[in-house]
Order: sequence, then structure tokens, then C-alpha cells
Amino acid sequence: MKKVLTVLALGATLGFGAPIDGYMQSLANEAKKADSSFKGFDAARGKQIFTSEHIGKKGQNISCASCHTNDLKQSGKNTFTAKVIDPLSPKVNKERLVDAKNVEKWLKRNFNDVYKREGTAVEKGDVLTYIKNY
Amino acid sequence: MKKILISAAVGILLSGVSLFGAENKSVEKVYQKECGSCHMAYQPQFLPQRSWNKMMKNLDNHFEVDASLDANDNKMILAYLTSNAGDVKASNKHFSKMSNSIASSETPLRISQTPYFLKEHRGIPKRLIEQKEVKSLANCSACHTSATQGNYSERAIKIPNYGRWED
Ligand code: HEC
Ligand code: HEC
Ligand code: HEC
Repeated sequence: MKKVLTVLALGATLGFGAPIDGYMQSLANEAKKADSSFKGFDAARGKQIFTSEHIGKKGQNISCASCHTNDLKQSGKNTFTAKVIDPLSPKVNKERLVDAKNVEKWLKRNFNDVYKREGTAVEKGDVLTYIKNY
Repeated sequence: MKKILISAAVGILLSGVSLFGAENKSVEKVYQKECGSCHMAYQPQFLPQRSWNKMMKNLDNHFEVDASLDANDNKMILAYLTSNAGDVKASNKHFSKMSNSIASSETPLRISQTPYFLKEHRGIPKRLIEQKEVKSLANCSACHTSATQGNYSERAIKIPNYGRWED
């Protein structure tokens, strides 16, 4: 009985059910470790990360929106290859933000392409919060 | 009794065959997903083994973008690419012409810069390539309407804002 309760409690704190919450939680833990005043992720900061332009890996101005557009409920287009990209918002595309390994892989790549470095835990958490609630 | 044994043996053989088939299919699926997310998944027959070996070592800087994979997926995809590469498995005339045109001293990373490719695409006006629907010759499926199925026949060519190609 006790075991069952602990498992249930664990499930509740990790927030099972919502697909990438485990990953978001580990980002939050990492953020807290780096800065004890960390209060939580913020969609407004995430929006700034998503929409602002930077000199990217290719040496040209680029933002996340260059490929995903500013309207995450619409399809985007890869600015390098012209291939269509399905909408990022999980509200219109149920395949989004369901696979932590996939999300981690793309954030690493896409941050490198736009910011020429991997994102910090706070930046990744912020931008995911923005996408999730868009 | 003998019959039962034989049919059991056949059963095992058959399931072995289909299991093997299923495994090949799932590797192909991983390839399609991972190497088909930014552009179409190019047929591995277009480049020789040495090209794929070189490309898969440097996915962090893949044509100036980050296409990095975890070590396991990288290994699985490299095995798929090299076992289907043009120098070991050129299964139709386009693939073998492409393969034969590459000097053994060369290790091209672009299909679109191999000699056979350049010769075939020489006559296409620049504006049709640089237009936003195509962007570059790497975008095979913009013009070859059945490219993802490996069909590059002239009948299946339709260039955006131009139409069928008659030469
Ligand atoms: C050069 C084009 C490009 C840029 C710039 C870009 N992305 Fe992406 N992004 C892609 C492609 C391609 C995919 C994968 C294709 C697909 O799943 O449809 C993807 C996938 C993703 C995913 C995975 C979602 C999921 O669950 O499937 C996330 C999250 C993401 N991008 C966020 C970002 C963020 C944040 C930025 C800016 C730092 C960014 N992207 C910039 C092209 C881009
Ligand atoms: C993050 C995006 C991305 C991913 C993932 C990706 N590529 Fe690419 N690839 C590119 C870009 C960008 C180009 C250059 C396109 C251009 O010049 O128009 C390219 C070009 C190529 C070319 C040369 C095309 C030509 O000009 O003939 C090959 C071959 C290729 N990729 C193979 C692969 C393989 C194999 C994989 C999987 C391991 C892969 N790519 C995954 C972005 C990607
Ligand atoms: C701008 C449109 C366009 C793009 C992009 C393009 N092709 Fe082509 N391709 C053509 C045309 C047009 C021909 C026919 C040329 C001729 O016969 O004069 C052709 C011919 C070919 C042929 C020979 C077909 C035959 O029957 O002889 C092959 C193989 C081929 N292309 C492969 C590719 C591959 C692989 C890619 C991507 C890496 C690609 N093409 C990208 C337009 C294009």
C-alpha cells in the first residue's frame, strides 16, 4: 500500500500524462541548480527567444520564426531547403512536444543554427513554455 | 509427424524471413524520418560508401547547419547508407550512371555536384532553379514529382512555373 502511494506521489510531482513534462522538470532542476533565484519558466521570455533575429551559424540573420513563422498554428517553410514544416503548436498538431528525445535533438540543432550555441536550460524551458501555450 | 516437423520448419523459416524484412523496414523508416526532415531522404544509391562515411562523421556541421544525431541512430543510419550505396548496389540506370561518373579519387558530399548530375541539369535556366519554390538543385522533389519513390524518369519531371520538360 505504502509503495503504491509513493508511486502515485512520484507520478503527481513529475506530472505524468502531459507528454514532455519530465523533460521540462529536468530543465527546471538544472536551472535552479545554476541559479537559486530561478522562479519558473516564462512564455514572454520564450517569445522573445523565438522571434528575435541573430547572426546564425551560416553567418546570416535568422530567427526561429524564419522557418516556423510567427504564427505557430500555421505551417512553416525551411528557409534553407524550402521544405514545408508542419505547425509547431501542439494545439493544432498533436504530434508536437510528445517525444522528449526528439524535442531535445531539435532544440540543440535549432539553437546552434540561430544562436551559434546550445540554449541554456532556462532558454529551452522558456521557449517550450511559449510553444506549448501558443 | 514428418509433416508437422516440415511445416514447423517452414514456419520458422518464413517468420525468420519476415522478421528480417521487418527489421530492414524499420531501419529504412528511421532513415526516412531522420534524413527526410529538412529535405527529401535522398536514395543512398546516389553516392558511394566513402561519401556517406564522410558525411555521417560531420553532421554537426552539415552544409552549415546542425543535423547531429545521437550515436546509436548515427550508427544505424550509416549502416543503412553504406549497405545501399551506389558503389555496392546501383539498382537502376540512373543510379549506376551517377555512380560510374564519380572518379575513385573523389568523395563528393553533394549528389548535385557529381559529373553525371551536372551534365543532366546543365540546360536548366538559373531562374527556374533559384525561384523560391525550388531554391537549389538539392531540392529534387520540387521538379521530379516522384523523386521520393526513386523515380527520376523524364515523364515525371514538372518544374514549378514552367511545366513539363521537353528537350
Ligand atoms: C532552418 C530552419 C529552422 C529554424 C531556424 C528553426 N527550426 Fe525548429 N525545426 C525545424 C525542422 C525542419 C524541424 C523538424 C521537422 C518537423 O518535425 O516537422 C524542427 C523542429 C522543431 C521542434 C520539435 C517539435 C516537435 O516536438 O516535433 C522544436 C521544439 C523546434 N523546432 C523549435 C525551434 C526553436 C526554439 C527555434 C529557434 C531557436 C527553431 N526551432 C528554429 C527547422 C527549423
Ligand atoms: C537540420 C536539417 C538537415 C537534416 C536533419 C539533414 N540534412 Fe542533409 N542537408 C541540409 C541542408 C541545409 C543541405 C543543403 C541544401 C542545399 O544546398 O540546398 C543538405 C544537403 C544534403 C545533401 C546534398 C544534396 C545535394 O546537393 O546533392 C545530402 C546528400 C544530404 N543532405 C544528406 C543527408 C543525410 C544522409 C541526412 C541524415 C543523416 C541529412 N542530410 C539530414 C539539412 C539537413
Ligand atoms: C529545377 C528542377 C530540377 C531539380 C531541382 C532537380 N532536377 Fe533532375 N532533372 C531535371 C530536368 C529538367 C532533367 C532532364 C534534363 C534533360 O533531359 O535535358 C533532369 C534529369 C535528371 C536525371 C536523369 C533522368 C533521365 O531520364 O535521364 C536524374 C537521375 C535526375 N535528374 C536526378 C535528380 C536528383 C537526384 C536531384 C536532386 C539532388 C534532381 N535531379 C534535382 C530537373 C531538376
